[in-house]
Amino acid sequence: MRATRIVFVTVGALGIVFGAWVMVDTVRPKSIWGLATWLIGAVIIHDAIIAPAVVAISIAMRRVGRRIPPAVIAIVQGAVVVGSVFTLVVVPEIIRKAKVPNNDTVLPFDYASRLVVLWAAIVVITALVVTVYLRRSSRQKARPSTRQV
Amino acid sequence: MRFSMRELLYGLRRGVTSPNRNARTAVVIGRLLGLAFVVCLGTGLYSHFLQEPLAWMRFPTRPVALYQVTQGVHITAGILCFPLLFAKLYAVYPQLFTFPPIKSVPEFFERASIAIFVASSLVQIFTGLLNTFQYYPWPFPFKQVHYALSYVIIGSLIVHIGVKLPIIARYWRKRDSYDAEGRFLEGDAAPAEAPAGDSADAPARVPVTVENAAPARGVVGRIGAWIDRTPEVDVKSSRRGFFGAIGVTAAALLVLTGGQSFRALDPVNAFAPRKRGIGPNDLPINRTAKAAQVLDTAVDPAWALTVSNGSTKRTFTLAELEALPQTQVDLPIACVEGWSQMATWKGVRLVDLADAVGAGSDSALKITSLEKRGGYRVTTMGSEYVRDPATLVALHLNGERLSIDHGYPARMIAPGRPGVLQTKWLSTLEVI
Repeated sequence: MRATRIVFVTVGALGIVFGAWVMVDTVRPKSIWGLATWLIGAVIIHDAIIAPAVVAISIAMRRVGRRIPPAVIAIVQGAVVVGSVFTLVVVPEIIRKAKVPNNDTVLPFDYASRLVVLWAAIVVITALVVTVYLRRSSRQKARPSTRQV
Repeated sequence: MRFSMRELLYGLRRGVTSPNRNARTAVVIGRLLGLAFVVCLGTGLYSHFLQEPLAWMRFPTRPVALYQVTQGVHITAGILCFPLLFAKLYAVYPQLFTFPPIKSVPEFFERASIAIFVASSLVQIFTGLLNTFQYYPWPFPFKQVHYALSYVIIGSLIVHIGVKLPIIARYWRKRDSYDAEGRFLEGDAAPAEAPAGDSADAPARVPVTVENAAPARGVVGRIGAWIDRTPEVDVKSSRRGFFGAIGVTAAALLVLTGGQSFRALDPVNAFAPRKRGIGPNDLPINRTAKAAQVLDTAVDPAWALTVSNGSTKRTFTLAELEALPQTQVDLPIACVEGWSQMATWKGVRLVDLADAVGAGSDSALKITSLEKRGGYRVTTMGSEYVRDPATLVALHLNGERLSIDHGYPARMIAPGRPGVLQTKWLSTLEVI
């Protein structure tokens, strides 16, 4: 395994160096500095803002939800994840649309209202899934004998 | 108030411990993300070399939808990287808080390669997404940076796999990763590689209970104590919820945006930046005649297409092109931005025009557009496309005369090429 690992690390390092060479070869130094700020900014935004927020929210949900079944918390957390990722993907479209795209065939939809509809749909679907889950689990509790036969 | 860096980092690591944050999750998500990255790299390089071929390169012209599929897959896989990359970063988040942060020279390089990997991946997928709707709010050129970063990303991925190989092998299979109750099995991997850090002083590996929690001193201690009183999470429902959320997000993104690239998903296209059938000739456009500054030259009655081969030169007015034998073909227009649509084109076979000036069977073409400036004003077309009977100098699109935004009076349409190379507002064709 040691030899394999050395090969991987070496080949990978060569890949990074080649990418850096292509970068220096095709992009002006000033633009590379601009890219560097974006690279550092991406890590800061993720590691220092998004990730701690996610951690804080999930701990808070666990604490607040002492009496809520864990599965329900998991379902709600899942719904928040779906909505958040969609928001991240769609908000740039909303911003770009507001700045007037190059032509009418780029970004033809009303993305803001569609995002609102999506969140509403997520809320409704989550409520339905939670209801179905709670009914099913209470039915199982009500008739334990049928499960034990 | 009394706290040290060490205590703070341990507190943070305890706080972010979760049944989903373990090496098995990192391996499972890592496999999917790695696959998506490799698919993006392969399809991306194909697109790159179609646009900037090396001298010896020839490309297949069949199936005609080849580029439509490769580029549709490129953009769709790129969008799917959003939930996968965030899931991966979520799974390994506690690793940020190891103490001391760097223990050795190899570890410094390992963390540096991960920093490069994470930063480039985040910038790559985010700028790639914005490029699909022509939005460039950054101080660097998109195309060159996207291309160069792809090598950096795949290189750091290979380094990362090399570094983590023991963990990847240890947790590759589910049955080696969890016991019968679904509890994560630690151990067997070399301690230095263990995901939660050094076994000697890693509180995160010990189940978090009130008893072994740090005493509630100072701000960090109090936060730690508050976190430690958090109820135990149910391992199974938590894990199901995690993978369920990733799966549902990925599926929903695929279904609600894939319609720009895949016809079957067109009816549920809710969030893609393009929609089939919207635009002149029922087809979206990228560059308008106004943006290309051809509003006058394209409608000039004196326009004629010049076809030359060395000293042999022929010119064709629009009426003369119309008088030549017309061919109708169904070919997709597929953009580097990922959207694509099948369309019906009618016009003159390019091979007939090439033959009219005595072009050989391996002649390539230099194609020049009327547009004033732009990276694709002058392009080269390999002989495989010139000789293909489906390659047309198109005059009609979807049953109507070509709209000026689609390249009136004449544009190129060839099977399997990126939209940027389907030159609009043709001016001259030179055999080379």
